[in-house]
Amino acid sequence: MDFAAQIAMARYERIGEILGRCMERVEKPESFSDMIDKVVLDRYLGIPVFLTLMWAVFQFAFSVSAPFSDAVDVFFSACSDWAKNTITDPQLASLIGDGIFGGLGFVLVFLPPIAFVFMALAVLEDTGYLSRAAFVMDRAMTKVGLQGKSFIPMLLGFGCNVPAIMATRTIENEIDRKITIMVNPLMSCSARLPVYILFAGVFFEKYAGAVITSMYLLGILLAALMATLFRKLVFGGKPSPLLLEMPPYTVPTLRGVFTSAWVRTRVFLKKAATVLFIGAIAIWFLSTHPWQATEGGSVVENSYAAVIGHAVEPLIRPLGLDWTAGIALFAGFMAKEIVVGTLGIVYGVGEENVASAIVSHFTPASALAMMVITLIYLPCLATIGILRQELGGWKWTGFVVAYELVLAYMVAGIVFLGCKLVGVA
Amino acid sequence: MKLSEVEPGSVVVIADVHGNPEVRKKLLDMGLIKGAEVKVVRNAPLKDPMEIEVKGYNLSIRKVEAEKVLVVER
Amino acid sequence: MIRTALAGNPNVGKSVIFNALTGAKQKIGNWPGVTVEKKEGICNYKGTEIQVTDLPGIYSLTASSIDEKIARDYILDEKPDVVVDIVDASNIERNLYLTMQLMEMEANLVIALNKMDLAESKGYRIDVRKLSNEIGLPVVPMVAIRNEGVEELKQTVVHAANSPKKPAIRYSDEVEEAIGEMEKKVTKERILPEYPSRFVAIKLLEGDKTILEKAGKRTEV
Ligand SMILES: Nc1nc2c(ncn2[C@@H]2O[C@H](COP(=O)(O)OP(=O)(O)O)[C@@H](O)[C@H]2O)c(=O)[nH]1
Ligand SMILES: [Mg+2]
Repeated sequence: MDFAAQIAMARYERIGEILGRCMERVEKPESFSDMIDKVVLDRYLGIPVFLTLMWAVFQFAFSVSAPFSDAVDVFFSACSDWAKNTITDPQLASLIGDGIFGGLGFVLVFLPPIAFVFMALAVLEDTGYLSRAAFVMDRAMTKVGLQGKSFIPMLLGFGCNVPAIMATRTIENEIDRKITIMVNPLMSCSARLPVYILFAGVFFEKYAGAVITSMYLLGILLAALMATLFRKLVFGGKPSPLLLEMPPYTVPTLRGVFTSAWVRTRVFLKKAATVLFIGAIAIWFLSTHPWQATEGGSVVENSYAAVIGHAVEPLIRPLGLDWTAGIALFAGFMAKEIVVGTLGIVYGVGEENVASAIVSHFTPASALAMMVITLIYLPCLATIGILRQELGGWKWTGFVVAYELVLAYMVAGIVFLGCKLVGVA
Repeated sequence: MKLSEVEPGSVVVIADVHGNPEVRKKLLDMGLIKGAEVKVVRNAPLKDPMEIEVKGYNLSIRKVEAEKVLVVER
Repeated sequence: MIRTALAGNPNVGKSVIFNALTGAKQKIGNWPGVTVEKKEGICNYKGTEIQVTDLPGIYSLTASSIDEKIARDYILDEKPDVVVDIVDASNIERNLYLTMQLMEMEANLVIALNKMDLAESKGYRIDVRKLSNEIGLPVVPMVAIRNEGVEELKQTVVHAANSPKKPAIRYSDEVEEAIGEMEKKVTKERILPEYPSRFVAIKLLEGDKTILEKAGKRTEV
């Protein structure tokens, strides 16, 4: 026998001696915890119970938190309006109203879902169900290069990638955690849905539902593919062993749950929030300047953002997209929620009439390409801030941005050409 | 016999632990040492991983790792 | 000021104890270069300031994972005055495995024996005084979720800082023989002299990669 085994045995032997002299074990009937597990981890009930709980977690994280986010939004919109109405210098009014208050609102709307995600996670962790959830899902997740504990962060990605990526903190294994973070932006967050609804609704009428669903499925498929690839190519293909302790169930304490949620939420405020705020101001500047040319920030066509839109046009031309799509995608980099709104501004029609305006700028094939790009192309600014925080620097964040751009271009290209081949214009 | 093949409900004794040094060390650290009693509690709903009881606590272990643990009847 | 580090397996109640000790006065950051959370805080016992650093939850000190590496390097290189080893009483056998390794490192240890309530309901009757005598270290029984034992822990930490204890831990003769031989070599060739020689010997015998690397940088082992 080698020394590693010998000393492990020697240590346990020594422990046995010590405990033999100071501890007695009284046989106890089957514990409460074991009885719960008989149901919760049952061969047939295990998965339904798991899915029900996951549904509840998702609802709690995004539906229950929504009114709080709305309140934040309303508050900062009001601040913004107030600033614009009271400050006489229009450029300063725009800076304070749209830039600063707009930026603050943009950053702080993430606070409620983050806090709620962490409360839900703390409850799962403290009750002891989190490791059971991993136990139930591990098999399925290892098939796609992830592991049991990746499931919850991936699921939360459908709501918003920011709290989802922060939720990977429950994954102890560094490589597993990195991979889960890196593919998370491929889970289609709720901010991308309006883009799908618009384009699918206009160009695929009857089949809109199917087209939208396939965007979500495409995201999942690509996440699985990339996770497998990353594990093989970037991390040397070594699967990390899963040795997960299954602690007895306990009743969580309110204080414990709140402390844990608060402590983790504070990390977001302290770290990511500053990066995001600066980014928000930068984007405000690009879309409203040069001040004269944009006539005080109202003619987007003449802004630096439009310059960028035109600059990317040659790149996206082969996908059937023009510079208006370029500006919308650039704006989407700030937050995917504003892609539709930006198109409205660019076409000068307002958000309600975008539908009729896009008909002349897109075809069914290029609309599909646009949806695919929106799904994949770039993590939004907030996600980039979180990626940097959780991946520990710009190196891996840059990697994520780069692979997503390339992937978006490739997949959109395939979809566009595929459409042409089967005769969809 | 491999630990991965043991039916839920049975109690067995570890005879040897193989595997690459890193994984093996990990298993040893978690108490999967020669002579230790292990109870197989259940398999996950998707058959893998499995839950075992060792050294007075419950541990989830994947079948690939459990294959590296050789056990004998008590 | 006394510098302490909290060590222990995952899920032993480390966060609860850290919060009970430091309250709202805590600083969250990351360990340098990695994405593992680092928490620090300050508490006070009768006028003595105690600085508390929360180490990642770990099962072993072989440095095979980043968490283990952080914990081990911190104890070896930062040399905290006291290491509080939090042991889950309801899972005592496996938890003491880390204690054995912390003793091998010759850290100045205090054992916080947490979850005494759970141990009881599991049918474990632990004689704390005897346990303390057996391993030669102070042991503080705790039920951290009910705040029981927190003051005693502070008191014990202050006491331990003033009178450090590093009891030897001895294994079977066969193992000791191997360790002894390697230790001689370690001392003679001055391999990693800044660390305890017995600890270095054990790690070299275990084939611990990071220690082998560290040693190899200076001498050929
Ligand atoms: N019964 C009992 N549970 C405890 C005690 N201390 C902590 N816990 C629970 O143990 C779980 C893990 O605690 P936590 O502090 O998060 O552990 P950590 O992983 O070591 O930081 C939580 O559900 C706590 O509520 C205790 O003294 N008794
Ligand atoms: Mg904790």
